Amino acid sequence: MANKASKKHPVLFHVDMNSFYASVELLYRPELRGKPVAIAGNPKERRGIVVTSSYEARAYGVKTTMPVWEARRKCPDLIIIPPNFDRYREMSQLMFAKLTEFTPLVEPVSIDEGYMDVTDEALTNDALNLANLVQQAVFGELGLPCSIGVAPNKFLAKMASDMEKPNGLTVLRKRDIQEKLWPLPLIEMHGVGAKTNERLNRAGLKTIGDLAEADALWLKAEFGIKGEKMYERAHGIDERQVDPEAAGDRKSVGRSTTLRENTNDDAELLRQLERLSELVAVRLKHHHLCSNNIQLMLRNRNHETMTRSQTSVNPKMEADDIFEAAKALFLKYYDGEDIRLVGVTALDVYSRDEAFHQLDLFRYAEEVAKAERKREE
Amino acid sequence: MKFTIDREEFVQGVQHVNRAISPRSTINVLTGIKIEADTDGLTLIGSDSDISIQSFIPVADEEKEYLQIEQPGSVVLQAKYFVDIVKKLPGDTIEIEVQEQFAATVRSGAVVFNLNGLDPEEYPRLPKLEEDQSFKIPQHLLKDMIRQTVFAVSSQETRPVLTGVNLEIEEGKMTFTATDSHRLAMRSAEVETDASLSLSNIVIPGKSLTELSRIMDDAEDLIEVVVTETQVLFKFDRLMFFSRLLDGKYPVTKNMVPTQTKTDVTLERNDLVQALERALLLSREAKNNVINVKTAGDALIEITSVSAEIGKVQENIEVASLNGEDLRISFNGKNILDALKVIDSDVISIQFTGAMSPFVVRPQDHDQMLHLFSPVRTY
Repeated sequence: MANKASKKHPVLFHVDMNSFYASVELLYRPELRGKPVAIAGNPKERRGIVVTSSYEARAYGVKTTMPVWEARRKCPDLIIIPPNFDRYREMSQLMFAKLTEFTPLVEPVSIDEGYMDVTDEALTNDALNLANLVQQAVFGELGLPCSIGVAPNKFLAKMASDMEKPNGLTVLRKRDIQEKLWPLPLIEMHGVGAKTNERLNRAGLKTIGDLAEADALWLKAEFGIKGEKMYERAHGIDERQVDPEAAGDRKSVGRSTTLRENTNDDAELLRQLERLSELVAVRLKHHHLCSNNIQLMLRNRNHETMTRSQTSVNPKMEADDIFEAAKALFLKYYDGEDIRLVGVTALDVYSRDEAFHQLDLFRYAEEVAKAERKREE
Repeated sequence: MKFTIDREEFVQGVQHVNRAISPRSTINVLTGIKIEADTDGLTLIGSDSDISIQSFIPVADEEKEYLQIEQPGSVVLQAKYFVDIVKKLPGDTIEIEVQEQFAATVRSGAVVFNLNGLDPEEYPRLPKLEEDQSFKIPQHLLKDMIRQTVFAVSSQETRPVLTGVNLEIEEGKMTFTATDSHRLAMRSAEVETDASLSLSNIVIPGKSLTELSRIMDDAEDLIEVVVTETQVLFKFDRLMFFSRLLDGKYPVTKNMVPTQTKTDVTLERNDLVQALERALLLSREAKNNVINVKTAGDALIEITSVSAEIGKVQENIEVASLNGEDLRISFNGKNILDALKVIDSDVISIQFTGAMSPFVVRPQDHDQMLHLFSPVRTY
């Protein structure tokens, strides 16, 4: 396949649904069309946050992750709709099914975006024209607007789809990057978060162009593999293939929750971790999976995220074992600041059929007895 | 301070004390080597506050003159640079001179290094130990005992006391025990001591012992070991190795060794080593290193290993003797292999007590060593 792709010029699309949740809601309530609408966590709760909003709402300054009270202050007429995730999942499936009518090489990235490899299809059809057909099909048959980026690889396609919203169609060729990509501030570069941006800024790098002209060795020393990748991407290089299986290849099972209000109450945070551990255990059981690597995630009120993980000799699958690991991590690393989101993830999961439990020399009798009890249940 | 010293002797001393130094130490002065010259000789000290090593180079011994001290004094020099510098110096001797502000000049042959030193007054004092609990052991024996047990200490910090080796002495017999709670290694030996000396729960960090054994060689000469509540000191001819002891109660391990067995196997150590090495080729990816063993006739055991993705391996080993019940058991083959590599006997015996309980591996030649393992259970 790599061989085949190298002979032709690869053509990839990045399809990005425009304010997806809000667009889906408008299908159910067309009378709201043209009005400022926001999807927000339970609007009765003061701390609910805006998950997404229509472009009309955005014009007032409403932003994703903004608390509802603040969004209301910016836009007093804002119509708040609680999220209805079943609807979004259903529409998402229809949308991806539509994309696969054009090519089987569709890789969903999240509920509302995905990549398409149309290298073969683009031979008989001009790429831009094909993108136009995809956009029309998604809008015409499902009523959902999207922006499409057309480029020779994933990174450029993703950057291109961001350049015009809504209903954008943007072509980004390698020869365009100097003109279109390099002037952009680094924070707009896919893969550069607030923290990385800050570190780069401190080193005097402000734009993607600055990054492209930075010392590759320095970037590698400073950011490791991520630094190498950033440097390559800034030069429009991205070797990743479109892999339709990627989403189905489950590597981790995680659950997280945004707290009703920010807190530094250990007992409350531990209660949440215990609950999330149970949810992870249920999920693992459902898929007959286990993990030797449990990760704790904490996000503070400045949206700074910390993850810490712990590996164990024996696989974890039961809620109490998962919670034990999450709790140990929490007690070791939590520094008492206000937390807005907590999460528990089982990393590198694998089938229970391949799992072994190394008995403990001090407690093997108890362990065997506990396993027997489980088996009888 | 100003002295001239034999390069070879100095390099060895510097390398020894450097073993204790952690370049990431948060205490700045501990990233350096303390060098102290007085009329008797030169003292070098390195420490990471868990381990401290002091090396002494006398002015001269029967064989040779090592050192000329023109002016006594002391300085602390950055180990990270100093160790590499002295190794690469060209001359047979090195001259070190320290002037104001701890500015050190290192001369050898036609080479001159000017190094910024640190204030030796800031360097912590080495612990002063009460020497009423001590015993003597030949260097090569201590080195063997460390090698034969330290691999079994826990690498996980969940039970800190298990990251150390437990030292016990009773009636002139010293025992080292290490366990990560999945395998246990025990080794004992007679030592020279006051018959009344009884020690227990002396838990020496595995890392300290590993560093100590790197400094030791296979010499017959005796090392004196001094033990206090919180520290252990190994006294060599010209070197002192201090280590902090681990806090906490080491678990009682004596009663863990099963006294009854269900299946007894005696076999060539090398046969089992090779079979396990082959079987582990397949489980390298899976990382669990699970090996299955089953009795297969009067004098045969069958070893298998299965990897869902790669394939499987089966091998039959002829054993010298096989007595007792039929058995099927699974265990971490890597753990067994680690132990087999330190057993100094061509023939070994294994006592199994059932598929879900621990088993013991011992050398046939002597009873001063045993290894205990727990099996694995499938889901």
